[in-house]
Amino acid sequence: MIEAGMMEAGRIFAAVRRQALIYLVAVGLAFAVLALLVALMGFDVLKAFRYLLTASFKSTFGFQETIKKTVPLIFATYAFSIPFMIKFFNIGGWGQMMIGGTAAAAAGLTLAPLGLPAWILMPLLIVIGTASGGLFGMAAGGLKSRWDINPIISTIMLNFVAQHFLNFVATAKPFKDPAEGHPITMPLPAEGTLGFLGGFPVSFIFAIAAVVFVSFFLKRTRLGFEIRAVGHNQLAAETYGIPFTRAILTSFFIGGALAGLGGTLETINIHGKLIEGFAKTSGAQYGIFGILTSLVVGGNPIGVPFAAFFMSVMLVGADSLQRTMRIPVELVFLAQGIIVLFIVTVRESMNAKKR
Amino acid sequence: MQFLSDFASQVILYATIYTLASLGIVISGRAGVFNVAAEGIMLAAASTGFMTAFFTGSWIMGFVVGALTGALFGFLLALLHERYRVNQFILGICLVILGSGAADLLYKIVMGVRLDAPKAPPTPILSVPFLSGIPLLSALFSANAIVWLMYALSLAAWWFFYRTQMGLETRAIGESPRSADVAGINVKLTRYLATTVGSALIGLAGAYIPLVVTETYAPDISAGRGFMAVGIAIFASWKPHRAIIGGLLFSAIEVLSFQLQMLSSPVPYQFFLMLPFFAVLAVMMIFRKTIEYPASIGKPYSRE
Repeated sequence: MIEAGMMEAGRIFAAVRRQALIYLVAVGLAFAVLALLVALMGFDVLKAFRYLLTASFKSTFGFQETIKKTVPLIFATYAFSIPFMIKFFNIGGWGQMMIGGTAAAAAGLTLAPLGLPAWILMPLLIVIGTASGGLFGMAAGGLKSRWDINPIISTIMLNFVAQHFLNFVATAKPFKDPAEGHPITMPLPAEGTLGFLGGFPVSFIFAIAAVVFVSFFLKRTRLGFEIRAVGHNQLAAETYGIPFTRAILTSFFIGGALAGLGGTLETINIHGKLIEGFAKTSGAQYGIFGILTSLVVGGNPIGVPFAAFFMSVMLVGADSLQRTMRIPVELVFLAQGIIVLFIVTVRESMNAKKR
Repeated sequence: MQFLSDFASQVILYATIYTLASLGIVISGRAGVFNVAAEGIMLAAASTGFMTAFFTGSWIMGFVVGALTGALFGFLLALLHERYRVNQFILGICLVILGSGAADLLYKIVMGVRLDAPKAPPTPILSVPFLSGIPLLSALFSANAIVWLMYALSLAAWWFFYRTQMGLETRAIGESPRSADVAGINVKLTRYLATTVGSALIGLAGAYIPLVVTETYAPDISAGRGFMAVGIAIFASWKPHRAIIGGLLFSAIEVLSFQLQMLSSPVPYQFFLMLPFFAVLAVMMIFRKTIEYPASIGKPYSRE
């Protein structure tokens, strides 16, 4: 009995050590590539790494910025992770985020004249934004189950639709702020917005809630169980009476809803109005970083906030590098892509050997 | 009359992007490799191709380097998939991110910030004498060199897949790599070749945008066309002759959406801009019954 327990513990320890090794090797290799590129470009490598990795921790502002990026990144990551449990690619986290934020802003500005109290308006906007993102995500699930359109294609197409829709709402007559040159709406009524706690957006409480929700949903609910079952073996799941259609629609709805909530929080918490580029960071889509983060953790929902935080540290570092040393942010994006490619390659080739 | 002729030449101008890219996706798809990285490959090739043409002053060099950039990405895709067994779709998405990052990074490093948009050397227009003088046919018989190359490559791809031994073998791998292997066909080599050559065509499509269509480079220049090309390859059921039809169709929709956008209509212009993306979904819904995939596409193959 005890021996069996020891062996089990030994196995888990070996697995954890192997995982840790993969991450260390991948990050090491990617940083080596990054160092090489920085050196080739004629910059001071050590100085660049110091800026890249410490910008988040040297000042309160840097840390607040990191949290502000971590929150939407957590939502964008789940948007990809949950449909990925049944082996479908939701590239549409970005679009679902935009639709969520746009719907919440449009609703908030439309309802503004009614003067609703905060305890009605704020939750209402969150529900509207979350549901819109969810339905927009579910559309891709429906296109797969009903018309057999690969979600990679449909979600990307819907991203562009969402982008134009956001631009439409942000420039539409009743909403647009006439004082702004860019597509930006009037501020939302204060009753519809969330505040900050000591410089940190309240949205991070929602992000923590999302982590708890996703773990609970996947492990403890029937729908979550169905999604995991279909992910393991679609045929077997169907034999036991779990409809594939329900699993795909649910997973895309939950993924889209979380992205939609992330977008809503950006609108009602960070900006207090709808801004065209709200679903981007340093000019790149949160959706893309969400996919990268999800591939880093490889389907482990508890790992998401940590990986998202690490990615955000690099994103804040990238901004600081560009500001101080004039190193383009794309260099850091490239390094993040390389990290993920290394992790995925090492993990999949190890899995292939195991099989 | 003039309007129709202008419309036709615009459609052919844009169709070249879609056709070359989807042809490239079709070629590797036939060997069983689903290349969803087209967008990233196009962006990287647009950047390298444009800068090469700008510094050498030669449009040919621009396209050659664009194609080589594509080939490099294709080789990487084949290597990571064939040797390290990384899932093709995950790889594709990673390469999109790497390609778009590398494109802007290289451009920023090499070109720096400029006040004026750098211009690409012009790609020559080749016209068929006499025929190009006929008003309605001028769009068809007077076009830039790459349009003619696109026609030639479409024809060559069709001829390769349906009239040569190697083309038949490539199609056999796409259907069943195991049977092909048993029949003595080199599955790995063919997959490497098809993915590399196919990606070179995608690179051509990428370089074509800054060299011919916009005549200058800008970030995110392919604007989703690489992803639409994946849609066209599916719509084409991985048949080269249907790729060109798909290319023309989606180009026509894109050009139409530009034209509609400029009309003053009660419908906000953003909805016209959504049109091409809805069209991809609509076409895939309508032609669902006729769409066929190579049976082994997206799946890794190993002898064990």
